[in-house]
Amino acid sequence: MKVSLSWLNDYIPIDKESYSNIADSLTMVGLEVDSVTDRYDYLDSVVVGRILNIKTHPNAEKLKVCDVDIGSRVIRIVCGAPNIYEDMVAPTALQGTRFPEGYVLKKGRIRNELSEGMLCSEAELGLGTDRSGVMILDQKQLTGNKLAKTLELSDMVFEIDLTPNRPDCLSIIGLAREIAALQQTTIKYPETLLSDSGDKISDLTSITIKAPDLCPRYSARLVFDINIAPSPFWLQDRLMSVGLRPINNIVDITNFVLMETGQPLHAFDFDRLSDHRIVVRQAKKGETFITLDKKKHLLTPDMLMICDGEKPVALAGIMGGHNSEVTESTTRVLIESAYFTPVGIRKTSKKLGISSESSHRFERGVDPGGIITALNRAAQLMSELDGSSLIKGIIDKYSKINNTGPITLNVEHTNRLLGISFDQDKIENLLKSIEFNVEKTGNDELAVVPPSFRVDIARPVDLMEEIARLSGYNNIPSTYPLIPAEARHPEKQLRLKNRVKRIMTGFGFTETINYSFINKLSCDRLRLESADQKRNMVDILNPLTEEQAVMRTSLIPGLLETIRRNIAQQIKSLRLFEVGKSYIGREKDNLPEEIEMLAGILTGSRTNASWYSKESDCNFFDIKGAVEGLLNRVKIDPIKFTCMPDNLCTYTRPGHTAQILQEKKLIGLAGEIHPQVLRNFDLKQAAFIFELDLKAISDLIPLTIRSKQIPKFPSISRDITIIINKDLESSKLSETIRKSGEKLIENLYLFDVFEGNTIPQNKKSISMRITYRSKHKTLEDDEVNYIHKNITDRLLKEFDALLPA
Amino acid sequence: MEKVEKTIEQIYEEAFKEIKFATDSESIKALSIRYLGRKGIITNFLRNISNLPPEKRPEVGKRVNEVKKSLDKAFKHALKRLETKPSQKDYRIDVSLPGRTIQQGSLHPITQITWQICEILEKIGFDIAEGPEVETDHYNFEALNIPKNHPARDMQDTFYISDNIVLRTHTSSIQVRIMEKLTPPVRVIAPGKVYRCDSDLTHTPMFHQVEGLMVDEGISFGDLKGILTTFIHHMFDEKTTLRFRPSFFPFTEPSAEVDILCVMCRGKGCRVCSHTGWLEVIGAGMVHPAVFENVGYDTTRYTGLAFGMGVERIAMLKYGIDDIRKFFENDSRFLRQF
Repeated sequence: MKVSLSWLNDYIPIDKESYSNIADSLTMVGLEVDSVTDRYDYLDSVVVGRILNIKTHPNAEKLKVCDVDIGSRVIRIVCGAPNIYEDMVAPTALQGTRFPEGYVLKKGRIRNELSEGMLCSEAELGLGTDRSGVMILDQKQLTGNKLAKTLELSDMVFEIDLTPNRPDCLSIIGLAREIAALQQTTIKYPETLLSDSGDKISDLTSITIKAPDLCPRYSARLVFDINIAPSPFWLQDRLMSVGLRPINNIVDITNFVLMETGQPLHAFDFDRLSDHRIVVRQAKKGETFITLDKKKHLLTPDMLMICDGEKPVALAGIMGGHNSEVTESTTRVLIESAYFTPVGIRKTSKKLGISSESSHRFERGVDPGGIITALNRAAQLMSELDGSSLIKGIIDKYSKINNTGPITLNVEHTNRLLGISFDQDKIENLLKSIEFNVEKTGNDELAVVPPSFRVDIARPVDLMEEIARLSGYNNIPSTYPLIPAEARHPEKQLRLKNRVKRIMTGFGFTETINYSFINKLSCDRLRLESADQKRNMVDILNPLTEEQAVMRTSLIPGLLETIRRNIAQQIKSLRLFEVGKSYIGREKDNLPEEIEMLAGILTGSRTNASWYSKESDCNFFDIKGAVEGLLNRVKIDPIKFTCMPDNLCTYTRPGHTAQILQEKKLIGLAGEIHPQVLRNFDLKQAAFIFELDLKAISDLIPLTIRSKQIPKFPSISRDITIIINKDLESSKLSETIRKSGEKLIENLYLFDVFEGNTIPQNKKSISMRITYRSKHKTLEDDEVNYIHKNITDRLLKEFDALLPA
Repeated sequence: MEKVEKTIEQIYEEAFKEIKFATDSESIKALSIRYLGRKGIITNFLRNISNLPPEKRPEVGKRVNEVKKSLDKAFKHALKRLETKPSQKDYRIDVSLPGRTIQQGSLHPITQITWQICEILEKIGFDIAEGPEVETDHYNFEALNIPKNHPARDMQDTFYISDNIVLRTHTSSIQVRIMEKLTPPVRVIAPGKVYRCDSDLTHTPMFHQVEGLMVDEGISFGDLKGILTTFIHHMFDEKTTLRFRPSFFPFTEPSAEVDILCVMCRGKGCRVCSHTGWLEVIGAGMVHPAVFENVGYDTTRYTGLAFGMGVERIAMLKYGIDDIRKFFENDSRFLRQF
């Protein structure tokens, strides 16, 4: 909402100098002033010029070439105005000037003659209506001075960012009311004196409301003998001051009253209405309608239409029709002033995608008590036009509009909610300052009737906000609530999430946050099978881009995109992780399943080349190590890594992927990204990932940690080297060893894997160090040798293994 | 004889000098062998004692043995001293060489700021809760007094999943879920991701908020001011003054925008605060009775305060970040600064 101080000044005295104070106070009562500008800023590059000499244009009869003194220098201007003369002082626009009519002045050649500026008419500068010739300035004005300064042109315009609850302030008078309350002055409402005459309106037209729910009130007046012409300058000037472009006297008057009172009006060409009457009804199925802007719309029965005797002539409260708009030849108009139900207007406006000054106000709620005032105001202004006459009477069809009765306001409740201690009188005065009707109904109570324009006030608490707002939020003292010193248990998973983030950074991983929405093609890029549940993506109906069109079902695409972007910036070694949700779609109208996941990614080198070590690339065991370390930190044990069956994970490399199991439960996976997937994500270097289900982890974390005795007796270590089939997972050996260790195995450490050379094909040699220890005594060599031999024998038998030669 | 006696004293003196100047245990061991070894100087000297006149022999012999003992002790002592010294010979390390790299990760700035926010509010007595990001229209709008076809819906550009399911546009969606579960007193904060279809220098379609809700008997607007003032003073500093402005949220009444004195220019006016000296950082208010009615709380008994803030906004102010999109580009050179 734009408002100019000059316009406000019509209703309340405004001290022009204190505009910034006014802006600040408006902001502090909840009407946020977004910007303050001078409406004449566009004149910044218009200066006072003096024509030194005039020559005829060599290539154009009607044009002149002038040398114009603009103070600092003399410029050349090609001009076609008839009234110029040597020594004339005139407003001179320099290049870059943006005229109110939209045109931007550029330096250029006119019929091959250089023109560096423009001598302007009053109308071109938005300072009057005369466009017959160049505006003549006082001979005494100094060349080079800015025009705005010379003519003392200045008018501050506030751009106010209104919240949807304050439609009453979508008008100059509405804002004037607020300022009046702030300045404790009274507002002077425009006086409407009507002189209507001649035929009675009821003999000339009629109004029928067939949808009173959507249109509780419709009123009209008729103005005849109109001569469509440009508006008087004062009217144009008012509209221009708030950024509206004048069109013609009738349209300008409806716009003026809209801006002044906040009540949208519409003027129909009375002679284009069939049967000269108005019918307010809902649209028929399949009906079409062409609005003022010549766009055709398909209507649905929930839309409210203003019709004449046979057809729709306006989209009620939103936009007039092309078939009934005021034109050059219009002589008789019907002015509409109505109340349309907010929800109806909003539905139609959203459905058709049309938003107008009018619909903006109707959908927020116009003043039900201001409809006739606005109608009369427009009628008065139209009747003041040369030659026009106002038809006698008014048609006002109306069913009841719900308005709130008195609201009972309890003073003590008010003080308690706000944390203040106002008395009844103070509250009464504050509410009265914004035209609320207040009556004391007891020691501690007030009966308050808000004015009809305050459609947002319905409950006592709404009045409390008014009291707080008017007395100033910043004058309410800060206090501290007294609350019981109790705490609820933190959610386990939330705590884990934070803990996991700390652990991962400790392992050298950097946290990323990727968008929750991804490209739908990610499924294909991950090579997901058609039955993969990761394909159950949640689609966004109105995505911003294809890249953000579906909710992710995995954190992996986001991480792959992130490493691709980083690699493009020459950062080729990365250790990243993310904690976030994946969203698995369910049946329509059910919320998706949100699964909190932890995922990590590794790519590039494990260690950089340095003075103490060589560069080495990371591999599967780096990512596995991170997962083992993490699970170890959160005390989840035992954990098993076993080969992922090839068809279970399509985006990792077969034979290079492990499923992570706790007991028999799958809690995640770790592996190398499939080469095809790398290509799909435009990656040229290997990447290793892991994914863990945080909910599953959270459920597995032991509630307590019990400390164990530090061993009292010495341990004995024995090494074992054994040759087994190449495809046997080493973890199988460990399991068997532990099972056969008679609970004396304290530690098992795999320290060598060897293939080739002396080892037969399809075999590998595994070396482990077993540490034996008893809790109860010092182990004897014989005892350990016996167990160790048993273990060796069992391994040989169970795995068809060999001892090294 | 004189000569011999002098010689033993000389040997003694020289040996001590050498021990003193030895810088490592190896040279002490070598010295020890040179003097006391089987073919050492002292042993040799003792062997040659038979060349002395018999009457002198006991005296000299005694002295040589004394020297031998004394040197032996000195060698042992020196050896002990030098062996505890780490350096060998003249070898010195270049301490200016880079140390062995410890891989370090970093927490995302949004995580760090979220933790800071939560930590302060937890101290004040709030518990942390979380809720779904894909949310029903009911919890995100309807139950918060934002009916369908209300202009307040224009305040947030919503991503729709279906007519009745949206990506939550604010963490306020958790308010009703919490109140349905708990009876007052309620003190909860809810950090999390929120979504709006908007993208430019200051908006990303996904961002983070922290919501706060406190419901009990006698909670006042003054309490809201007190809590948020404490919060801002901890988050920034005591000099960061606050300004409360009336505003509108359908689920609070009275509603307020909370501005803080610009942390960049301290109110003088700069690009960051659009030359106003103030920064809008928190939306807040007293819980609207309609919201209480939706969860069955007794509006004559309970009042509540609620507030919400954007984590990115605060992170940008705290770290001097000018483009919100950087948070989600995840450029490692950006992330590792925090």
